[in-house]
Amino acid sequence: MARSNGSPIHHDGELVIGIDVGSTTVKAVVVDPNSLEILWSDYQRHETRQAEKCLELLTVIHDAFPGLRPEQVRAFITGSGAGPIAEPVGARFVQEVNAVTLAVEHLHPDVGSVVELGGQDAKIIIFIENPETGEKQAICSMNDKCASGTGATIDKCMIKVGMPSSELNKLTFDATKLHKVAAKCGVFAETDIVNLVKSGIPSPEIICSLADAIVTQNLSVLTRGNTLRHQVLLLGGPNTYLPFLQEAWRLRIPETWAERDYQYPKDKPLDEVIIVPENAQYYAAYGAVVYGLDEPGQKAKYRGLAGLEDFITHGRLDQLGNAAGPPLVGSMQELEAFRAKYEIPGFVSARFEPGQKVQAVIGLDGGSTSSKAVLLDPEGEVLAKAYKLSEGNPIQDMKDLLADLKDQVISQGAELEILGFGATGYAADVLEESVKADANIVETVAHMMSAVHYFGEIDVICDIGGQDIKVLFMQNGDIKNFRLSNQCSAGNGMLLQAMADQFGVPLKEYAATAFRATLSPTFSYGCAVFLDTDRVNFQKEGYAKEELLAGLAMVLPKNVWQYVVQIPRMAELGTRFVLQGGTQYNLAAVKAQVDYISERVPGAQVFVHPHTGEAGAIGAGLETLRLVLRRGESTFIGLDAAIDLTYTTRNDEETRCDFCANTCSRTFIDTRTPQGDSSRYIAGFSCEKGTVESRDAMVKLVKRRKELKKQYVNLAEYEARLAFKSFHEPKPLPEAGTPIEDTEVKLNILGKIKRVPLWRGFRRSDSEAAEKRQSIRIGIPRVLNLYSTAPLFRTYFEALGIQTKNVVFSETTGEEMWKEGAKYGSVDPCFPSKVVQSHIHNLLFRKHTDSKPLNYIFFPSMTHIPTFVKNTMDNAACPIVSGSPCVTSASFTKEKDYFAERRIGYVFDAITLEEPLLLRRQMFEMWGERLGVTEDESDFAMNQAWEAMRLFDEEMERRGMEVLEQIERENKVALLLLGRPYHLDPGLNHGLLEEFQAQGYAVLTIRSIPKDEAWLGRWFREELETGKIPNPLDINDVWPENYSANSVQKVWATKFAARHPNIGVIDLSSFKCGHDAPVYGLIDSIIKAGKTPYMALHDIDANKPSGSMKIRVKTFTHTLRRFEDELADKAQRMSELERRMLERRRQLLQVRRDALIEQVKDDCRLQLELAEMETAFVEYLEEDEEIKGMRLARTDEVGVKRVATLRDDISPAAPYVKILELAADRVAKRVEAKPANQNKTSQKVRLYPPEPPVVEVEPGIESNP
Amino acid sequence: MATTSHDNPLRITPAGIELTTSNIAVDSKVPSWDQIEAELQRFEAEERHRLGLVEEELEQYVEEVPKEFTAAQREHTTLLIGGLTLAQDVLIGAALRGIGYKVRPLDVPDVEALHYGKEFGNRGQCNPTYFTVGNLVKHLIQLRDQKGMSSEEIIDNYLFLTAGACGPCRFGTYVTEYRKALRDAGFDGFRVLLFQQQGGLKQATGDKPGLDLSPKFFISLLKGIVAGDVLNAVGYRIRPYEVVPGATDRALDECKRLLIEALENKNSVILTLRKCRSLLDAVEVDRLQAKPKVTIIGEFWAMTTEGDGNYKLQRFLESEGAEVDIQLVTAWILYNIWEHVYDTKRRMKLRGADTGNFGLENTQPYYKLAGLFAAEKALRGVFQLFAKAIGMTHYHLADMDELATISHDYYRNELRGGEGHMEVGKLIQSVQKKKAHMVLSVKPFGCMPSSGVSDGIQSLIVKKFPEAIFCPVETSGDGAVNVQSRIQMFLFKARRKARTEFDDALAARSWTLEEARRRVPRRQQVATYYPEHDVAGTAANVLAELDAKKGRVWGWSALKRVAMTALSASW
Repeated sequence: MARSNGSPIHHDGELVIGIDVGSTTVKAVVVDPNSLEILWSDYQRHETRQAEKCLELLTVIHDAFPGLRPEQVRAFITGSGAGPIAEPVGARFVQEVNAVTLAVEHLHPDVGSVVELGGQDAKIIIFIENPETGEKQAICSMNDKCASGTGATIDKCMIKVGMPSSELNKLTFDATKLHKVAAKCGVFAETDIVNLVKSGIPSPEIICSLADAIVTQNLSVLTRGNTLRHQVLLLGGPNTYLPFLQEAWRLRIPETWAERDYQYPKDKPLDEVIIVPENAQYYAAYGAVVYGLDEPGQKAKYRGLAGLEDFITHGRLDQLGNAAGPPLVGSMQELEAFRAKYEIPGFVSARFEPGQKVQAVIGLDGGSTSSKAVLLDPEGEVLAKAYKLSEGNPIQDMKDLLADLKDQVISQGAELEILGFGATGYAADVLEESVKADANIVETVAHMMSAVHYFGEIDVICDIGGQDIKVLFMQNGDIKNFRLSNQCSAGNGMLLQAMADQFGVPLKEYAATAFRATLSPTFSYGCAVFLDTDRVNFQKEGYAKEELLAGLAMVLPKNVWQYVVQIPRMAELGTRFVLQGGTQYNLAAVKAQVDYISERVPGAQVFVHPHTGEAGAIGAGLETLRLVLRRGESTFIGLDAAIDLTYTTRNDEETRCDFCANTCSRTFIDTRTPQGDSSRYIAGFSCEKGTVESRDAMVKLVKRRKELKKQYVNLAEYEARLAFKSFHEPKPLPEAGTPIEDTEVKLNILGKIKRVPLWRGFRRSDSEAAEKRQSIRIGIPRVLNLYSTAPLFRTYFEALGIQTKNVVFSETTGEEMWKEGAKYGSVDPCFPSKVVQSHIHNLLFRKHTDSKPLNYIFFPSMTHIPTFVKNTMDNAACPIVSGSPCVTSASFTKEKDYFAERRIGYVFDAITLEEPLLLRRQMFEMWGERLGVTEDESDFAMNQAWEAMRLFDEEMERRGMEVLEQIERENKVALLLLGRPYHLDPGLNHGLLEEFQAQGYAVLTIRSIPKDEAWLGRWFREELETGKIPNPLDINDVWPENYSANSVQKVWATKFAARHPNIGVIDLSSFKCGHDAPVYGLIDSIIKAGKTPYMALHDIDANKPSGSMKIRVKTFTHTLRRFEDELADKAQRMSELERRMLERRRQLLQVRRDALIEQVKDDCRLQLELAEMETAFVEYLEEDEEIKGMRLARTDEVGVKRVATLRDDISPAAPYVKILELAADRVAKRVEAKPANQNKTSQKVRLYPPEPPVVEVEPGIESNP
Repeated sequence: MATTSHDNPLRITPAGIELTTSNIAVDSKVPSWDQIEAELQRFEAEERHRLGLVEEELEQYVEEVPKEFTAAQREHTTLLIGGLTLAQDVLIGAALRGIGYKVRPLDVPDVEALHYGKEFGNRGQCNPTYFTVGNLVKHLIQLRDQKGMSSEEIIDNYLFLTAGACGPCRFGTYVTEYRKALRDAGFDGFRVLLFQQQGGLKQATGDKPGLDLSPKFFISLLKGIVAGDVLNAVGYRIRPYEVVPGATDRALDECKRLLIEALENKNSVILTLRKCRSLLDAVEVDRLQAKPKVTIIGEFWAMTTEGDGNYKLQRFLESEGAEVDIQLVTAWILYNIWEHVYDTKRRMKLRGADTGNFGLENTQPYYKLAGLFAAEKALRGVFQLFAKAIGMTHYHLADMDELATISHDYYRNELRGGEGHMEVGKLIQSVQKKKAHMVLSVKPFGCMPSSGVSDGIQSLIVKKFPEAIFCPVETSGDGAVNVQSRIQMFLFKARRKARTEFDDALAARSWTLEEARRRVPRRQQVATYYPEHDVAGTAANVLAELDAKKGRVWGWSALKRVAMTALSASW
């Protein structure tokens, strides 16, 4: 193809111009309409000035073709930014995929499929020949919104990895060292990349992992389950310029071909089968021309340069019209006033005298994009700061920062004595190990300490870093609660930077640029990728960069308060807000935040941390000071030793963990101090086993883990195992002819249904069928609602004579399994339903073998599932979950019928577990013929199946009760997993619960909460008494729209947690979960009212967000410890109160006793009566005293027994004085026996309603004289 | 001497055991039990304070569900309605005004409504929730901030009336969202009424319910919905072929005005529709333009709304040169009837009756079926009456059983939520019967039944019918460019297909376009006329109908006309 080289081209005839306005570049071609030859071509980055760049290119074209007249030209325009420019240029708009398709059809008639990766989108076009007509059909698919930012994502990740582009071009794809990267979404990918960088993984491996992830994601999702046809054309910027990406395609595409038995020319070299054409960047522009020429009667009238010039000068602002929002600042005065109040004064390092001995601690924050360190004097004042953009290795970053700090002191001739070293952030773990840091604290706590140090009593801390948003709610100077951005809202600080980069604005000038805008586009808040889509849209509409920057700054507070925090009434949070984190250096962001908060919180005081970027480092420093002071010594290896530390990073086959099937690729970071002390830090593992090297160490670890599991049970793990085990032996089928009751259904003449009961003999199938059933193997995927219903189906089959070993479940979700089977789906819903294809794949390809074939795969479409919650509107299953069996059927029969091929019957009819009679019929319809059973047998098996479900519940509740009793007894906290049944799958909950188990917390599940109504009555007494609910298992007082069974159970469990003082909550929710979303607010409100410790991990997806999980676990553990301390502290005070009350009661009794003795000493009858009463009172005292705020273990029987005992004990003849003395003694002993801090009822310290009153009295007591 | 006297020495009370002195006269030197208790209470309070155990009462969360609307309040209460098409919202409003309610239709939800919805709604909702919830909040905020009404006044004088659902998709929880958003936006206590929640009100308040769910009420609602449907359907048939741009819309506006007037004054809708026919027939059309016909299917709200919620999709398609085939609300009601029929038939012959929403306990299935049969026939009848009155020819409401049967193998009919199996059924039908050149399936981002299930199955259908041009798009309220660009991509193919189809039709008859144009008789040139279905394209169908030259059975037509006139008076 011709390129512009400046020399004039002489052409007399007609010309056709094709322009492609993409998200980052403008490309143009000039074509001869007769020969379709490209006469001229060029492309330029437009930096959001699309119209200007087009004009520039058109001007060059006019120069290149001297004497060009508009009437001689036709123009066609394509690309995402083409819309507004088409009319001024006089070009006809052509949709870009059409353009590319036509260019490909024209230039490469043999091509079978096209994979194009653009800046914002990815497209796959597969050409399929219609066997009937021979006509080629193009099946096109584009990525959905979530995966957008393909090229942009690669760009952003490159920045994080920090690999220069010159090296990128040389990089070759190495599939042997790949790490987990989620390419489903740009933000997810970035998060993973940051983690890999922080773990010290070499840059080439990270880049290759990213490339592989993008390729795999596109092959599994974007193909919509179709197989690419050869030859494959790779188009678009990333495919063209990144050789390693091309290689990744060339590795993975043939793999899918092999898997699916697709025939392609194996004799040809792969680069001739998977082709990267030259000059592919012009395909869209060229295709637009081909398209335009193909359209008869659609002649575009090219307007020359004038139209575009006019549009640039006047058209843009007219077009924006009234749709724009207000600017960031209204007037210069406002800006001045704002600057005066909020501009952070520049930091001046402390000055030292030569020879001065400076004592200090170092705090270091290894953040996501940059690392910061501070030098604090013993009073906590900042003496010096150091900052550097992360270069990929946390140890190198630390060495550089420490050297910098040291230099700042030494260069002034002073001496530096380091008292201690503390770290926080992503890098803290590796530093704790390698330099023996004194403190390793989680970022949230570091930020809290720092903010409290500067501002004292505060209500809210809002920290916005490059990747995360952290909002901490404070009480009494500590974290009361917190919210962290989930994956979907992450990356906001980084987004501002990326956007500034895109517009060529240095970050320091962001604010000044944004303040200049006189209007702004209104971005929709939400995920960074969506914001980027908005940005493209606004650019297309003609907004200028300063307006876009202003608009983006203004969306930040919405992301924080509406998306992450989700508390619309901000005033409830308090009035004192501290803003910190590197993003606050950007005054545009601060202005937007201050305005947003002030509008919503009357009397708000918003402070910006004076060292906003170093708040975390300062927190780490302050904690170091506290620890070193308390311990009296430091563990730190010393400043010079740390600076001179040598290290090696190793990530190869030897470092790979082989203790389980996941075989995680690990990185060993070995450090050695100048003194020769060495240490090793291991990164990159996905479970605890990865933390050790030898088998012995692993065995020890497993042993320790087992002990821990015994001590703090994880009922989620137990339930997940139990659900798929055979734990109930069904009763044998009755003999043929055994009398059974049946119903005959008749219709009378008026159309009324009549059901007539009758007795008849049980019908059995023949022995041949029974024998056949012995060998039938049925596979069931271990997914979705089968986590709550599997015992029903297993028992049904077992009762019908299918052998226990022949009811086969797919394996637990695992990384490998997901990868292997994830290429058949055509939709991209939540991960739990997407992972179904991998389980079916597992059954088809792993569980089904020649020697042990599966006869059926059973995956019922369950529309309704059973629930324990009462009075619900309906008990529906989620529609995606109930529809998954149908979608799976489509996925595995679309290109080839994989079931038929293996002679497996796929049984996926709809059933409802809410209507037992209908279910019986449905099960019989499905299985009667297939298993050769009679309806009687099937019905009998269903009865056995329900019994198994009952036992399942009973066993879980028994275990739950044990945990609850234990924590109540020991003043401990247990964590309740709020999730849907499939969140029990460790592959879906990413092992989060085990992390808490390791921290010493038992885990309860919703099923394990005892549902005994009498037992529950104590927690729901107030609602029951006031009639808000008729039953403790009712949720109509909080949610009347309760039709979705699993959501309903979540809400009920939240209610329970809010009432039980020893329960904290972990709320799990999968990305795109449509049924969890409506109850987010509701759960929040219930939790808030109950003051229950709460942690949410929403938007869980295929990738394990390790970094984010770690912060959550650590922060929540901090909150839980504090909560437990409060429990213990309050228990102690309650005990003290009880002791004091008893003492006081004794005093008063003594007074009364003495007075009464004095009064009744001469009257025997009175003496006896008095004695009786006194004894009764003493007995009463001996029972657990009901003090408000304390739970009593009293039950009705105890209450009755108490009175009964009293009657038996009292002998009318007993001398009254003795009885009185006895009574007084017992009271005294009781007081003595109760020291202040040991009280058997003291475990209950949260305030809640007392036990139901004892009202039952044995008959006759009341009339007893 | 202070004495206390009781019948029994021991009394068990809710507070515990109380000892009383029955026969003992206690002199004043002896502290009484009451005094001891009082002293203990005082002491406890003092100690609690000292120990920092002063109680903080835990008040557990309770969701207030304000829904009281009584007949006495009807006078001063404005019912806000919305959520269907523009025409339907205003016509339903007029119909309800006609029977004595104060009604105000909300505007079509726009991007501003979306922003309100996002600010006050839960995270992760689908965008119909954000749009509709935000639209109500937006309206109330306007009443407060622009009209200067206090929140209390608004809460007292307005309520929002909407249809309820019982899942299984998020539609069932809209009311939860409405309550949350209204509470958070400062309208705590604002009433959101569902039709079915009105039942128990009488017992609770002693007053008649504000919504009188009588046949009159439902007939009014039905008139509004069906009149809106036929007006929309006829509009989408005419507009793409109008010769003078804007003429159809002007005529439709006038039709709407006439219908509003008729409904408010309880005049005959049928007669008014006949007047509308004259207005519409005045629009000049040229049907011999080979336009791609695009059937819009998908999630109910996303395909029905005509605003920013789907990027004004219908108008966008028309601006790109397509004829749009929309789905009618009447068809949706037919689907609801079908669901009940299907579920009842499935269960009526069981050995007993199950409980639950679908079980037939306490139900006489045959009576239920008879009622549903009558409802279906009545609905179809009213629709055809209205359609005929406005001059709409050859419009066939979908056969729900057929849709269910052709889709069942792929999408089990028992699965509900959204459009259930209908999307799959409609695509198959569209291809098999050549009903459209392209099927555009529009759904909100992350729509559970549509994006999560239907689309997964549609990929198989497309494979089975390679001639199908099927374009699924997700809307989120932002990013219109990407969606429109995707539609253009498929429309390109559809346009080619339509053109080829028409060219082939001309070639088969060896006509030129001009020749064909001359052959079209006058009665087929009026705007409300529409050719009978043969292939997908309207222009090609005009040609096919020229061949057929069907004779008219005049007697039958005359009879139908007499029947229509008789019904016109009451409807």
